[in-house]
Amino acid sequence: MKTLIRRAWDALFLSKAPYAEMREESNPPLRGLSIVIIVAVAVALVGLVGTALEWATTPKLSDIQRIVLEGIQKMEGFRELEENPEFRERFLRWYETGWRVFPHLFGAPNIVRAALRIVLLPLSLTFTWLLYGLVAHLFARLLGGTGTLGQMLGCTALGVAPQLLNLATFLPYVAIGGVVGTWTLLCRYVALKTCHRLTWGRALAATLLPYAALAVVVSSFACLGSAATALIFGGGTSQ
Amino acid sequence: MKELLQLARSVLLFKHEAYVQHVARADVLKRGLTLLVLATLVAGTISFIVNVVEDLRPRNLETQRRETEESLRESLESLEPMRQYLDLPPGFERELLKYARPNIEIGFRIAALPTPLPKPVGSVLQDLGAFLSSPFSRMAKWLGYGIWVLLVAKLLGGRATVSQALGATALYAVPHALDILSPVPCLGGVIGLVTTIWGIAIYVKALAVANGFSVGRAVASVVVPALVIGALALTGLLGILILALMSAGG
Repeated sequence: MKTLIRRAWDALFLSKAPYAEMREESNPPLRGLSIVIIVAVAVALVGLVGTALEWATTPKLSDIQRIVLEGIQKMEGFRELEENPEFRERFLRWYETGWRVFPHLFGAPNIVRAALRIVLLPLSLTFTWLLYGLVAHLFARLLGGTGTLGQMLGCTALGVAPQLLNLATFLPYVAIGGVVGTWTLLCRYVALKTCHRLTWGRALAATLLPYAALAVVVSSFACLGSAATALIFGGGTSQ
Repeated sequence: MKELLQLARSVLLFKHEAYVQHVARADVLKRGLTLLVLATLVAGTISFIVNVVEDLRPRNLETQRRETEESLRESLESLEPMRQYLDLPPGFERELLKYARPNIEIGFRIAALPTPLPKPVGSVLQDLGAFLSSPFSRMAKWLGYGIWVLLVAKLLGGRATVSQALGATALYAVPHALDILSPVPCLGGVIGLVTTIWGIAIYVKALAVANGFSVGRAVASVVVPALVIGALALTGLLGILILALMSAGG
């Protein structure tokens, strides 16, 4: 376990050595899976501590909701609007719905959700790793790569290393931002270049093509979805 | 640590040998990032201490409320010279204050709500969180722009690996340690300008050394992504303008 953590840590600094070591492992996919799971569980556990601390230093959401509502109701223009019972009822309904949705979207601390991440984060990172590894391997082979799928999965598992930055969320209110995404891209580039022994241009293409393929698939589904919706609703209104 | 400080000093003085030795090391990115993180944390130290002291100082709620209203009134008064250009209706300030007061009240009532841990703990944790987030914010900007610089440098024949290029360019953050003086009135602005120019010069020098090419090519690698982004933004804006004009015409 110590070796795997050290390897993930070294992979974070984008040197070729940890990726080359992974390529030469006897069972790279299993090693890769272990790294993904260890990193994901560690990040989720640390995140739970950070979320618990944030929750313990934040007032109850229901109290904030009540105070904001009382404040709005005291506002001059609102009092006139509130005389209309229909407006009052509709406003309260939207207000309740808004408070159920928005605080969670904007990162209000939720301990249950943070605890669930201990299971969900390893699952989602494993799924992403397998999907990316498989698609990137296909492109790398098309571009003249020499690595096997097993070696590729082992190397791209090290792309999870930037998640280690999230360990800083042990302290609440620490914002990591978009650095993890960009760093993951760089780790994947080094993984592909090392595993398949590609030139920098081909490695870059093989790194980015899975993202492009994903974008094409998502936009195709979006187009199909909107076409189907237009067909259903368009057909419905014309009759 | 002593070695890192020595490297930082040589980097600030543009000592060519220091750059070459730094790039040749296996842990180039680790060292570059350590300096980036340290410089950013040093820069934020005074603000962090001031914020913590301010948050831990016992303050009367009524005084705070008065202070907030006064600062709002002052900012409205600062609009006075602009009045002729802004075309503000008569009594605008009074109306704005009337609407702002309930919102200020909401803010104070929320701030007074109890929390499971004592309030000062939360305040210090928030200050600490903001302080520790600053290196990540700098890293995001450096990396976000850096990957485009890396691409252009490669296209111009650069020989640096990803870790060498990033480890070298991370050194640009070293002069930003002087941003610790940015809260000083008058001096802060000048310091900010000096550290920015100094940082850009280090970035160009480090990129040239890492890639083994001329400073001219390094400048081109740094400038081209900005030009492309600018051109794309301009094209987007022009597109929006043309669409707006067409729809207005239609």
